[in-house]
Amino acid sequence: MRWTGLALLLLSLLGVLAQSVPEDPRDEAKRQKQLLLQTSGILPSDLIVEQGKDLFYTKRGPRGVSLEGCDFGLGAGVLQGASVQLPRYFADTGKVEDLDSRIRTCMTQLQGFKPEEVKRSEVVPLAFFIAAQSDGLPIQVRIAAPAEREMYELGQKLFYARSGARDMGCATCHVSYVNRRSGVLPFSDVLGKDASMSHWPAYRYSNDQAWTMEDRIRACYGNLGHPQPDFYSPVPIALQLFMAYQANQAKAELPGFLR
Amino acid sequence: MRNLIWMVLACMAPWAMAQSYFGPGETKAVQGSGAKFADALLNMSADQLQCSLHQNRLPADATPSFLAAQKASIQYPKGDKFMGDWQKGGAIFNNLQKANCFSCHFGSPANLGGDVGPSLEKYGLQRGQSEAVQRYTYEVIYNAWSYFPCTVMYRFGVQGLLTPEEIADVVAYLLNPASDFNTKPALGGKR
Repeated sequence: MRWTGLALLLLSLLGVLAQSVPEDPRDEAKRQKQLLLQTSGILPSDLIVEQGKDLFYTKRGPRGVSLEGCDFGLGAGVLQGASVQLPRYFADTGKVEDLDSRIRTCMTQLQGFKPEEVKRSEVVPLAFFIAAQSDGLPIQVRIAAPAEREMYELGQKLFYARSGARDMGCATCHVSYVNRRSGVLPFSDVLGKDASMSHWPAYRYSNDQAWTMEDRIRACYGNLGHPQPDFYSPVPIALQLFMAYQANQAKAELPGFLR
Repeated sequence: MRNLIWMVLACMAPWAMAQSYFGPGETKAVQGSGAKFADALLNMSADQLQCSLHQNRLPADATPSFLAAQKASIQYPKGDKFMGDWQKGGAIFNNLQKANCFSCHFGSPANLGGDVGPSLEKYGLQRGQSEAVQRYTYEVIYNAWSYFPCTVMYRFGVQGLLTPEEIADVVAYLLNPASDFNTKPALGGKR
């Protein structure tokens, strides 16, 4: 944790320097990542990955087993390349699951935790660790099973839906106003150039925040005063399947490192 | 009896509309994602539904009736007094929790503006204070969709986010030549 303190101090110094020169936040994030690696040799996100690794291999829960027996789609314990193929249909649950919900499935069904015992503070580092095993690989989700097709279509509808008191909709900003700024950061080109699903879960250095795409989607709704979908529910999974399919072939940077 | 049938049909209308955007299986999935969330998505209004179905790009033949319906939704302040108190309007314009106008529009002397919407820098000096400009500004804030179908800007009046009087205050903040908006430099310098 001493590293985190040092890293944060460095970050705040770099942040001050960065503010005087406005530039593309994507380039800025790349530069900050490089600088951090040069100066401290480690990224804050690496620490989260390590924390997830510990959680993954430790025998935990009422059944006292590790998560090594968990199948993330490529067979029990196979992690490399697993997260770039999520969300996908799992025959054992009969559901399309994303990284977050699959972790939860294994924590409940394999380790024996009760659903309410599954904490975000454990799911997030686990997601970071599992995602990191697919760093550099191309996104490769499929729409094959009927359930995947249904979820894809739901995701597309949700992405373009307008609802709530502020007529909120994902596409309204992330298609119509790509690169325009509301506040500090420009709207990312989620379905296009930014291929957003290729770099989530992500660490955001401007506020020392580790988030999965479920957190990110919920924040989009919440920031606009729209009721949020529940964690692990069909809505964030459907949106991710739609977004991931648009990001197919994009090279994953996992975990992402963002401003 | 006929009234009763109409009442039942009227109650079912929002449900029926949502049904035409989300299929039965999808509706179930949305319902399983949180009660309040489902409420917002499944009770989409008729105009939200149109924007959703057309992915925010209304076809030309649907636009005139859409604009007319949006225009008809506008309520005006008492005595058609479009310009209220600019100081109150400034507090509304510059409040992130309230109207949050500055996040998308450049021109505020109090907050650095974004560029999602057009720059409003020195709006009152650019546009003057004619009745037509006052009315137009009021109508755009009350219901942006009455001029720009399906745009991102909140429909402050229609959705009850601001009262007609509060909107008139914002109009004054933008138009009144004595307003800080027109006398002080926009934060962030010229664009």
